[in-house]
Amino acid sequence: MIKLTQIRKSFGRNEVLKGIDLTVEKGEVVAILGPSGSGKTTLLRCINYLEKPNEGRIVIDDFSVQCRRPDKKAIHTLRQKTAMVFQQYNLFKHKTALENVMEGLFVVKKISKDEARIRSIELLEKVGLGNKLDSYPSELSGGQQQRVGIARALALNPEVILFDEPTSALDPELVGEVLAVIRKIAKEGITMIIVTHEMGFAQDVASHVVFMDEGVIVEQGKPNELFTSPKEERTKQFLKRITPEAAYSI
Amino acid sequence: MKLDFGFIWTAFIALLPAVPTALAITAVSVFCGLIIGTAVAVIRLYKVPVLYPIASAYVTVIRGTPMLTHLFIIYFGLPMLIDGATDSLGLSFRSVSIPMIGFAYISFSITAGAYMSEVVRSGLLAVNRGQIEAAYSIGMTTFQAMRRIILPQAFAASLPNLSNMVIGMLHGSTLAFTVSVVEINAKAQIVATTNWKFFEAYLAAALLFWGLTFLIERLTALAERRFNLYNRGGVS
Ligand SMILES: Nc1ncnc2c1ncn2[C@@H]1O[C@H](COP(=O)(O)OP(=O)(O)OP(=O)(O)O)[C@@H](O)[C@H]1O
Ligand SMILES: [Mg+2]
Repeated sequence: MIKLTQIRKSFGRNEVLKGIDLTVEKGEVVAILGPSGSGKTTLLRCINYLEKPNEGRIVIDDFSVQCRRPDKKAIHTLRQKTAMVFQQYNLFKHKTALENVMEGLFVVKKISKDEARIRSIELLEKVGLGNKLDSYPSELSGGQQQRVGIARALALNPEVILFDEPTSALDPELVGEVLAVIRKIAKEGITMIIVTHEMGFAQDVASHVVFMDEGVIVEQGKPNELFTSPKEERTKQFLKRITPEAAYSI
Repeated sequence: MKLDFGFIWTAFIALLPAVPTALAITAVSVFCGLIIGTAVAVIRLYKVPVLYPIASAYVTVIRGTPMLTHLFIIYFGLPMLIDGATDSLGLSFRSVSIPMIGFAYISFSITAGAYMSEVVRSGLLAVNRGQIEAAYSIGMTTFQAMRRIILPQAFAASLPNLSNMVIGMLHGSTLAFTVSVVEINAKAQIVATTNWKFFEAYLAAALLFWGLTFLIERLTALAERRFNLYNRGGVS
């Protein structure tokens, strides 16, 4: 279980997160929706501590970080318990697909090279890239790169995988292959938090949907409740703007 | 005046024994400079407290003064410092036992470090911020991320500038003649004193430098191909 309490984050005088409370149960898939600039990316980055929250508490099972005064070790542990899939993939440029996935196992988890290799090959096969093990990121399409990114995140066996608009940098015809992989691992019961603009995808993969605006969670609930009968005015307006036809772009 | 081609060749052969000296000065100063420069670049880029102003001062002072001046200051200043220190500690070591070339090693390393820090810095800046974030996100420490992800990419990106540095230090090694190190130019002068054919002797030296520089350029090209292997695609 992941529990965020009163997460606050400011950039200078601009308060981007204004006290976020969010609980994610084990195996849940949470979709975060919201207009541009509402703080979705910042929230994910805070959970992974790529951004230092000014205040709040992050709890993962029995491990807890007090954000105001964290020690280095807690940050390191938090990062090992979470994994991030980036909008821009951020694969290690100078490493092959296989090496990208192996890196965390071998360097961080200290698993032997041989074992790390076997496990990484399995993961790359799972995301449909068994034939691209020795390709460098520059030799892969966006969709393939993102699938390597997902395999790299899975390799660490994290408590939660954070996806920041994993398909928004992709050409439309490549979106499907990445969403299919996410859908597949969602079925395996891995806890995930996904920021996405793919409404159709959110609706059928997510078990819980969160709508954010201006640094607060406006509304959250089961997908069919939130999509069909939103309570808050801001949610209604946002959903109206994103027409269902356009959202079902898979 | 008639050019003595035969003597150019004779001089060329006579200069060859000085090549190891020139290469040693180049290699030591580039190697130590790379280490100093990497440390300085990382300190400046990440604004490490306390060390940051020291590193910045080092770069502007050294880049703001000629390489020959560094050599003289080290050559005349270091012995005083060393002898003063060993005296007060009651040690028997004396600065006269430092070989001349040692002064060139030390001073040129200090020179190279300042210039190299800019080479490394530009390499580090060429590495996308997403790379270190990805390294952090899989749980690497800053040190692991630096060593395994950032520095290798920065190194590949700085190869062209690095080769410039190596060539510059090779040519700069000629300054060591001022502290009685017999490098290629000094050797040319010695060779020419037998028959006063200075022009031929220095032409031979020029040829030799050009040859060595050409070699460095070829080696860089090879290294670039090797280290930039990962950029071979062109999809993203
Ligand atoms: N490093 C930063 N420095 C200053 N301001 C920032 C920084 N990162 C984000 N912001 C600001 O924080 C706010 C929220 O940004 P964030 O990226 O979290 O939004 P988002 O909901 O992910 O938007 P989008 O849907 O466009 O990705 C924005 O106003 C942005 O300008
Ligand atoms: Mg965003």
